[in-house]
Amino acid sequence: MSGARKSKDRTATIMLWLVMALTCGMLALILAFLVSKGWSVLSWEFLTKKPRSMMTAGGISTPIVGTLQLVLVSMGFAFPVGVFTAVYLVEYAKDDWFTRALRLAVRSLAGVPSVVFGLFGLSFFVIFMGFGPSLLSAGLTLGCLALPVIVGASESALLAVPRDYRDASYALGATQWQTIRKVVLPAAFPSIITGAILSVGRVAGETAPIIFTGAAFFAPRFAKSIFDQVMALPYHVLILATAGTNIEKTRPIQYGTVLVLLFFVLGMTMTGVLWRARLRIRQRAQR
Amino acid sequence: MEKDKFSVRDLDLYYGSNHALKKINLQIPERAVTALIGPSGCGKSSFLRCLNRMNDFIPGCSVSGKVELDGSDIYDANTDLIHLRRRVGMVFQRPNPFPMSIFDNVAYGPRLHGDRDRNTLRDIVEESLRVSALWSEVRDILHSPALALSGGQQQRLCIARAVAVQPEVLLMDEPTSALDPMATARIEELVRELRTRYTVVIVTHNMQQAARISDTTDFFLSGEMVESGPTQQMFTSPRDKRTEDYITGRFG
Repeated sequence: MSGARKSKDRTATIMLWLVMALTCGMLALILAFLVSKGWSVLSWEFLTKKPRSMMTAGGISTPIVGTLQLVLVSMGFAFPVGVFTAVYLVEYAKDDWFTRALRLAVRSLAGVPSVVFGLFGLSFFVIFMGFGPSLLSAGLTLGCLALPVIVGASESALLAVPRDYRDASYALGATQWQTIRKVVLPAAFPSIITGAILSVGRVAGETAPIIFTGAAFFAPRFAKSIFDQVMALPYHVLILATAGTNIEKTRPIQYGTVLVLLFFVLGMTMTGVLWRARLRIRQRAQR
Repeated sequence: MEKDKFSVRDLDLYYGSNHALKKINLQIPERAVTALIGPSGCGKSSFLRCLNRMNDFIPGCSVSGKVELDGSDIYDANTDLIHLRRRVGMVFQRPNPFPMSIFDNVAYGPRLHGDRDRNTLRDIVEESLRVSALWSEVRDILHSPALALSGGQQQRLCIARAVAVQPEVLLMDEPTSALDPMATARIEELVRELRTRYTVVIVTHNMQQAARISDTTDFFLSGEMVESGPTQQMFTSPRDKRTEDYITGRFG
């Protein structure tokens, strides 16, 4: 009896360990594959030089800068809008059908395929607003994609701020806005930042939303204005893999670009995690 | 003759259909400590929160009757809640300092109300921390996080924070229930000193505490105010049988 129970327990432990190993193994395999294919091209020149000879040689500085610019524009739009939407939903909205519908809408937005965002961006920002295919259009489209993630993360962060803090603030004669600005938002900030950083990872890696809205097949120089088109890392990979001038020859560049994108996203995530840890420590030092 | 700070008349409070306070009539004397006692759920905390209208935040809560502070009804439609809560400060059951430095916690209230000058703020912070008997312990660590203090220190910090906006009344909702006996003794000592400057209303489930620190005691039971009187008299010769049963420990 007890023997059977013990062996079941052991089996479960082994199974769970195997599943975990499988997950980690897959990730390791992908990383190993990418490194083996692309490591050879990684160099200072690759990061700092522009593509040459119909993108079959040179570096990838234009798509790197382009992706950074897209991230900046999208966050400049989505971060404030997302955070304040969450503030509205958590602090101001009454719990009625309208609020619930709004919440549901935001949640569903997170599940919409990214190509749909691309088409929306094309018809709204590019054509209707008249921004043309540009850094601005593409950045705003990516911002729409990031919005539900930021709203969701900010909502949970705000809800996690203890009722006690709000009570203490109101009891001192604070208005609602003073309470939100001075107590609630600062307390929720570390978690909000994490949500935003995670969405940066998603924004930096998306191709579909920017193809129609502002990503350039090739651009000879960095975008100087928000109305210029930009090259972007994921789109550059797509082009090298499917529409390049010499696909076989540029395989290493393609995988090198993938690695750079991967490290970029990893770096962003790490920064976010470290930043949050620092903010947390500053707020609640150990006894 | 002492003056009444609060005069409560026919106060009813409902949470939805739950009649939580029934026709409460009582006076709260100025510059004295008033203790509200009674078993859990008797309405004493609800009553306390009527005095600075913190019940306004609870959905489904409705109040009727009059609560006069220095003769004017705080449930009047023209009441400025910000001004009211500045005059009537509150200390909560669990110490709830903000996740900021000790200094910023105390300066929070004055800053809300427009004090920006560094020297003024420093003076207010020092004075408030002296009033709450915390100054000597934190004078050198004013800029460290408040959450690093012990529970008892945190509660005295909350008292300093409330005092910093120069209120006339301090409401305390079981301020020692989350503290150890040593910390409790310090807070009680502090409450006795606060009476010289402020009107203090303290909710407690601890009758010894009420007997030790208060001048007046009001006994609540099932949403009604059963008996009110000088603490001395209440604990030696209660008029109501229910009060006697409660303070002699027969229930509650």
